[in-house]
Amino acid sequence: MPNPRLDTLPPRNYQERALKRDFSGLFERGVVDMARSVDPKGPKTESDPKFGDISARLNDLSTRLAAEKKQTAQAESAPKQYQGASDYSKGYRLISEFVAGILVGGLVGFGVDKLIGTLPLFLILFLLIGFGAGILNMSRAANRTPPTPEELAKMPKPRIDENEDK
Amino acid sequence: MVNDPIHQFRIHNIFGPWNIFGFEIGFTNSNLFMGIIVAVITGFLLLTARKGSLVPGRLQSVGEMWYGLIHNMVDNVLGEEGMAFFPLVFSLFSFVLVANMLGMFPYFFTVTSHVIVTASLAVFVVALVIVVGIAKHGLGWFRLFVPHGVPMAILPFISLIEIISFLSRPISLGLRLFGNMLAGHIVLKVFAGFVVSLVALGLGGIIGSLAPLLMAVALTALEFLVAALQAFVFAILTCVYLNDALHPSH
Repeated sequence: MPNPRLDTLPPRNYQERALKRDFSGLFERGVVDMARSVDPKGPKTESDPKFGDISARLNDLSTRLAAEKKQTAQAESAPKQYQGASDYSKGYRLISEFVAGILVGGLVGFGVDKLIGTLPLFLILFLLIGFGAGILNMSRAANRTPPTPEELAKMPKPRIDENEDK
Repeated sequence: MVNDPIHQFRIHNIFGPWNIFGFEIGFTNSNLFMGIIVAVITGFLLLTARKGSLVPGRLQSVGEMWYGLIHNMVDNVLGEEGMAFFPLVFSLFSFVLVANMLGMFPYFFTVTSHVIVTASLAVFVVALVIVVGIAKHGLGWFRLFVPHGVPMAILPFISLIEIISFLSRPISLGLRLFGNMLAGHIVLKVFAGFVVSLVALGLGGIIGSLAPLLMAVALTALEFLVAALQAFVFAILTCVYLNDALHPSH
């Protein structure tokens, strides 16, 4: 019985490649890469007569590495322009945690006062406790800021039944 | 007043109001847009899932990304056992996202710019945390308010702070979404209003109005980003809070 996986993509890569709409040359790519590394038309400058082929290949490799480095650097600098909005939302998150702590403290204090009839006492007390809760909230939020969509995309994909292969 | 930046948030009855049990209840523009939001989400997801092909097309990819984003998030924050909450988190995220995005259309009503809507969603989430926590762990769930390694002398004080901190969650969750949407729409309206007022001044005003016009365009882009980001933040904080229901000791 033929393996049903052979004509589909492995699950881990499935989503990414499908999203890029890059179906062409999926299977040839490995062959192309191998062919390129021994490409005689590659940059074959100042080849040492002793090492001839090897130094040419090294040159080829270093130029390709440089190109790849440049590409990744460009890819990393791309999301910088969204940084401002992300910082803004982080700041907004911290301040809303703080304000919420004080608000709830004040509300609870006011409620207790209304019930017992000692108006300013518990309001002041719980406002102070609410202030503490706000600081606690804020420090927690700062230490455990939820991941941004970009960070989440870098996290490992959901596990897909690995026993299936065996 | 033409340039009233608050006017866009006014709620008015489309049908009614009817007198139901002594309350005046009508079908408002907010209700209408909530209905539209649900219709848009349902329609869009049905449309994207219609084919269900193994190799997704463009439209199906969007639907799968939408689903996959929330699936990843719930899996990463809550783990395997938290998958029961996936439908809830997905619904919340979709509702908030589509509400924010529909609000960006001119003349559309922004449902999430009213604190009563966002606060209801937030209170629902935190109430669910309490119910699930007690159902799963019994009274042991209240360990959440008793941190480890705190001296007995200040424990009541710390517990009080923890309780207030817990109670402030729905406020901060709802307030943040509401505040972002309200402030963004008002700022946008004010800058757009500057353009109109400056153009009315004559030639110099027309040249001068270019600055607020550019600002309004830039702010529109920012608002789209904020709309998506706030929906995402709402969903992920829901996950983080639900995590407390599943694993109270921290």
